[in-house]
Amino acid sequence: MRLDLFAMALAVGLATWAFRYGPTRLNLSNMAPDSLLNRFLNATGPAAIATLFVASVLPYLEQAGGHEIPLALGTLAVLGGFAWRRSVVIATLCGAVVFGLASALV
Amino acid sequence: MSAPADAPVTATPQPMGFRDGLTAALPIIVGYFPIAFSFGVSATRAGLTGGEAVMLSVVIYAGAAQFLALALVTSGAPLLVSAVTLIAMNLRHLLYGPALLRRAGKEASTRQAWAWAFGLTDEVFGAALGALARGKRFSEPMMFGLGLGAYAAWVSGTAVGALAGGGALAAYPALDAGLGFMLPALFLALLLSVLSRVQIPTIAVAAVATIAGTVWIDGTAGILCGMVAGALTGVLRRPHAS
Repeated sequence: MRLDLFAMALAVGLATWAFRYGPTRLNLSNMAPDSLLNRFLNATGPAAIATLFVASVLPYLEQAGGHEIPLALGTLAVLGGFAWRRSVVIATLCGAVVFGLASALV
Repeated sequence: MSAPADAPVTATPQPMGFRDGLTAALPIIVGYFPIAFSFGVSATRAGLTGGEAVMLSVVIYAGAAQFLALALVTSGAPLLVSAVTLIAMNLRHLLYGPALLRRAGKEASTRQAWAWAFGLTDEVFGAALGALARGKRFSEPMMFGLGLGAYAAWVSGTAVGALAGGGALAAYPALDAGLGFMLPALFLALLLSVLSRVQIPTIAVAAVATIAGTVWIDGTAGILCGMVAGALTGVLRRPHAS
């Protein structure tokens, strides 16, 4: 077990736990909607997730040959799965299944 | 759970128990296991040992962040940059506790929140909020049942994937491709779950900055550019825009 990897995991794990537990004590629900901190917290999550989605898709677009159709179908399947059940898990599985099948068939 | 036939009819439902939480976790368990399996396979394929893969699931327990950790570590990003990026990504979890407790009501106990909050993932939060929206009453045992079921599925799925190993799917290219697409699919689904009209400029700026940073510098810089530019867009937006 690499010690540096464990240290990074521990730092991220502790911070994640603090993010999940801390607000149950601090009662951030009383925070003013237009406060700088509230706007920062509201924006950071979507910004991070949008960034990671783009970063994870870019390699498929950069690779030559054959990924466009599975990528388009997989993306549509995620959108459709989410519209259907409003579930992150269901949408993810729909996207993965359709992408896998499309990759095999195209 | 139904009340006994001779029980008095009351307007306030009974608080959910540990077993109710486990039952509510079943859809999450079904979904988490294959995603975690994919993580275990990806981790060993990326050069991590099985023990390191399981350690990431046990300690971090945040799916998208774990997949990103793999990408960052294997791309040679400095561990401090990786840790800061992963922590920034998980900032969204700050909002889950208050949102859940606001729905649970002022009488909701949080004495053991230090323990059950560890398992307050996107899906557990969604399932708990959904149960409360359907008229169920909040309880800490329910949160433990919900969280423990999901956590067990995540860790065991990772372990099975790590045991299968990085080359396990070589004979199954469709399955291999599908599991490889789990990460973008997960990010897109998460994005949909937090999408609102007011966040569209934040998301658009983050996406453009990510592409620009990746094309002009490298992938790690693209991620940092996207997160910083997107968050700043949200902070700088006019208050009355919401």
